Amino acid sequence: MNLQMDMDLLEKLTILSDAAKYDVACTSSGVDRKGSKHGMGNAIAPGICHTFSADGRCVSLLKILFTNECIFNCAYCLNNCTSDVKRAAFTPDEICTLTMEFYRRNYIEGLFLSSGIMVSPNYTMDLIYQTVLKLRHVHHFHGYIHVKSIPGADPILLEKTGFLVDRMSINLELPTADGLRRLAPCKSRNTILKPMRQIQNRITNNKQELTIYQEPPRFVPAGQSTQMIIGATPENDFQIMSVAEGLYQKFQLKRVFYSAFVNVNNNDMLPALPGGPPLLREHRLYQADWLLRYYHFHVSELLSEDRPDFNIFLDPKCDWALRHLEYFPVEINQASYQTLLRVPGIGYKSAERIVKARKMNRLNFDDLKKIGVVLKRALYFITCSGKMMYPTKLEENYICENLMRDKTQIPRDIRESGYRQLSFFDQDMRSDFHLTDAQIIPPGQQIYTV
Amino acid sequence: MYLFLCEDNIDGIFTGVYDAWASRYGHNNVSLTTCPPHNYTLFHEYISVQTDFEKSAKVARTLLNRMGEETYTEVCQAASALEDTSHKKQVMNKADALYKTIVLALSLPDSSKVLNYLGEPYVNRVFHLSRSTGNEAHHLLGFLRFQELENGLLFAQIHPKNDVLPFLGEHFSDRLPQENFMIYDATRKQAVLHPKGQGFFITDTQDLDHEMLHRFSPEELEYQKLWCGFFDSIAIEARINPKLQNQNILKRFQQDVIEFARSSNNNILKQ
Repeated sequence: MNLQMDMDLLEKLTILSDAAKYDVACTSSGVDRKGSKHGMGNAIAPGICHTFSADGRCVSLLKILFTNECIFNCAYCLNNCTSDVKRAAFTPDEICTLTMEFYRRNYIEGLFLSSGIMVSPNYTMDLIYQTVLKLRHVHHFHGYIHVKSIPGADPILLEKTGFLVDRMSINLELPTADGLRRLAPCKSRNTILKPMRQIQNRITNNKQELTIYQEPPRFVPAGQSTQMIIGATPENDFQIMSVAEGLYQKFQLKRVFYSAFVNVNNNDMLPALPGGPPLLREHRLYQADWLLRYYHFHVSELLSEDRPDFNIFLDPKCDWALRHLEYFPVEINQASYQTLLRVPGIGYKSAERIVKARKMNRLNFDDLKKIGVVLKRALYFITCSGKMMYPTKLEENYICENLMRDKTQIPRDIRESGYRQLSFFDQDMRSDFHLTDAQIIPPGQQIYTV
Repeated sequence: MYLFLCEDNIDGIFTGVYDAWASRYGHNNVSLTTCPPHNYTLFHEYISVQTDFEKSAKVARTLLNRMGEETYTEVCQAASALEDTSHKKQVMNKADALYKTIVLALSLPDSSKVLNYLGEPYVNRVFHLSRSTGNEAHHLLGFLRFQELENGLLFAQIHPKNDVLPFLGEHFSDRLPQENFMIYDATRKQAVLHPKGQGFFITDTQDLDHEMLHRFSPEELEYQKLWCGFFDSIAIEARINPKLQNQNILKRFQQDVIEFARSSNNNILKQ
């Protein structure tokens, strides 16, 4: 191996992974595929994390850009055509070699290929297509491939690529069309939503083909995902979650990712965020996202025009439960699965276990603990055989006060890093995070003017 | 009370189950354990179980037929779990928990549902043991690192708590059918061996040539360097968070993962 060439490859890899790191979707989930005798690779539906980078995020795929050259000028992006960064581009062969060699050493679960826009959207999309084609058909790679589709690329290129990859995604970038127009003038809602719809329709058709033919090629079997940047534009949580809900319902997306905004360009159009990226807000959005996908919640139950943002102190489920004490307490040995899902401290897996286990024996609090229920949160909302765990009051202020003592309400890593000196009454802080009084005062407590 | 002492592995426990059942002492009068007791008690009769692969295979076949693949896998995971031998906590021995669970399972019309009886303490114990092995195996599917040796063999070393080799062997044989690879469990001194194009097998490793493990192929260190370069540049500076990182990939796994053990890697292998 040529050492000089190798130095180049390391430098390219460093530049092009550095340029790709703000894309958050790095999961390898959603598809089960057995290995084949002559190729290399398989996929398992829950996905596999291969390592965790210094920021604590899961690394599952070789996440790189094909090139960080770009003709677009999105204000939030480090690679936009006006910024002065070192540029590089891989060749399809280099990407194939890296993927295969990393994969056989079990560094990665597959490839995540995105790109800046070189020459034109079609030119770039074709390079991506050529690369995955080679990987699948020359190197016989059967591992996971996630490709970003390039906004504005020809539908035929998307179609051809879709038959080779497991997941495709198109970033929504910003929650509203207005934000997009302001910060990413080369992109439009249309160039994002149109291909999203195309992929959705193609997946649906492909499922019908699957029932007709024996083994037709599969189109994007792990579905599509998207990503929104949080905190670059003034949208509130209600707007963001409503967009996410719309994407799940109308576009059948598998995942919506939220990425706390990091101001990399020091652009005047964008907020400065001296307190670091809005990590707690991102965390609350992900919690709410889970409530939508696994807990049968609707955005309208969690937020409204009058309460457009999530509570900082309590997770969205506890917050909801406190405002709906009329549903509680819930009897563990009788309540339906759907009702159990709504109890703080009971996850969807615990709820499943409860429903199965109570057919056999009546459950008591000790059993619940062993099943995995978080009793310190659940105990205010449940009874076992008609009895509560301790004598407690079913009263908003009382429960709220107790729940707030639970330190896990704000995850340790956020409490101790970004929110280190977070004083909620610090006016600067409040304006940075767009906090309103309703958000920073625990529900049910009086607001005293500061 | 009759106490059956069995070896701490799947075959040992399954043989114990076979012997205890065949003894006809009655399920309530027998108990199994994998740890020899510190104090022998009066009025207990101790019976050592000689691991017998034929008996173990019979038990395995019955369980697979009656429970179905999913529940059977959970039972195997529980049998492979590390037994807590500290005696600090009074926990039910895993062999005994498994025996009672199997007795319950075979008395049910649908044995595959046995793990739903989480209210029963022994089923609960099996459930927890199984989850512990399952979680560790799943972590290692990702954290395990192969290094290419001079002779083209892919070699990985791990230090697992539970006996996860069979689960890893199955996964990687499906994933890398065209590779010669070896996964070495340094805690148990056992290894999965997979010859190219064939099935895998597990073997003891008394005569493992440790010298050979340091002779890498010419490209190996280059790819390690490339990987570490990628690993460093993929982190977002504004979000650096070592606590979260260590919470997600526990220190005990880090020793065998090249990007974490960069400087000390060679030292560990030499030991």
